[in-house]
Amino acid sequence: MSKDAELVKKLKDSSLKDTAFSELLDVYQERLYWHIRKIVTTHENADDVLQNTFIRIYKSIHNFQEKSSLHTWMYRIAYNESIRFIDKNNKKNFDNIEEVSDSNLEVLFEDDYFDGDEIQKKLTKIISLFSEKQKRVFQMKYFDDLSFRKISEILEISESTLKSSYYTAVKIIEEKIFL
Amino acid sequence: MGEIAKNNHKKKFLKEGFKGGVSEYHKKYLGTIVPKGYFVKSKTSILEKINKEIKTESSKRTKKQLVFWIQPHFKYIAAASLIFILSLTVWLQNKNTDVLKVNNLELFSFSDDVLINSLWVDDADLESYADVIIINEILIKGALFEQKIDDLFLNSLFVEDSLIDDYTNDSFIETFIL
Repeated sequence: MSKDAELVKKLKDSSLKDTAFSELLDVYQERLYWHIRKIVTTHENADDVLQNTFIRIYKSIHNFQEKSSLHTWMYRIAYNESIRFIDKNNKKNFDNIEEVSDSNLEVLFEDDYFDGDEIQKKLTKIISLFSEKQKRVFQMKYFDDLSFRKISEILEISESTLKSSYYTAVKIIEEKIFL
Repeated sequence: MGEIAKNNHKKKFLKEGFKGGVSEYHKKYLGTIVPKGYFVKSKTSILEKINKEIKTESSKRTKKQLVFWIQPHFKYIAAASLIFILSLTVWLQNKNTDVLKVNNLELFSFSDDVLINSLWVDDADLESYADVIIINEILIKGALFEQKIDDLFLNSLFVEDSLIDDYTNDSFIETFIL
């Protein structure tokens, strides 16, 4: 039995749930935080979404049917929570996607928890020009180190489309980063 | 020399893969950082929030149970009984209303007839009717009743007198003769 399967078993047992959940936080909290942070931009937002994500995981673990891995299932919850957060906030402040993208960059560079140099800023700017899906695919593959199969399960896109999208993104970055 | 190093860096930049800690990796490539000790604090905060939510939910559930709770296998029986009682009440009510309706209709039509007829009767007719009733029912019947009583009284008097006469006559003669 894998570590994740064992953890799921404990999480579904009400007498072991709290201990198992603490263990789950130790293993996945940091990874999920960075996954969320790249979508919602600032540390403050990521902190809010991370809390909501883990509360949702805790509440719905008994509904987890183990068709996918625990890791994929949690990433999907985190992704959905982040998108929900963005939708909620963008509706309040912006009229179009371009405006959102520009504004996100400004917000990121002004964030207290951003310490990037020129090249890091440039990379962030190039990624921000990608389509929403291409951006997510690149970030999940490159920064979260997820396999194409897992990304395909999270985003519900075929593996071949993902690969094509990822390699196009890498090519664009390689061409533009040191210009 | 500097150009070579730059080219090597360019080649490596996107091909190093996922090495070391996640936070280090993000700091290196995206320049994003987290406050010191954030993950420890965040863990505590998440666990506290979960405990709080669980307590709130369980207290809500307990309150709900106090207001109304019924065991699942009794639910259907209770629901069926309630429906039966309600339908019986409705049916009985409808039944009674039918009877009432018939009675009321008869009563209304009768009173209507009387009222309508009374409107058509002439005052003179009513007076003559009243005279006839008074003569027949009160005067004649009263006179006949009086006569009857007189007859009875007279008869009783005659009978009694004749008996006394008979007795007195016989006894008087007997005493005198003897």
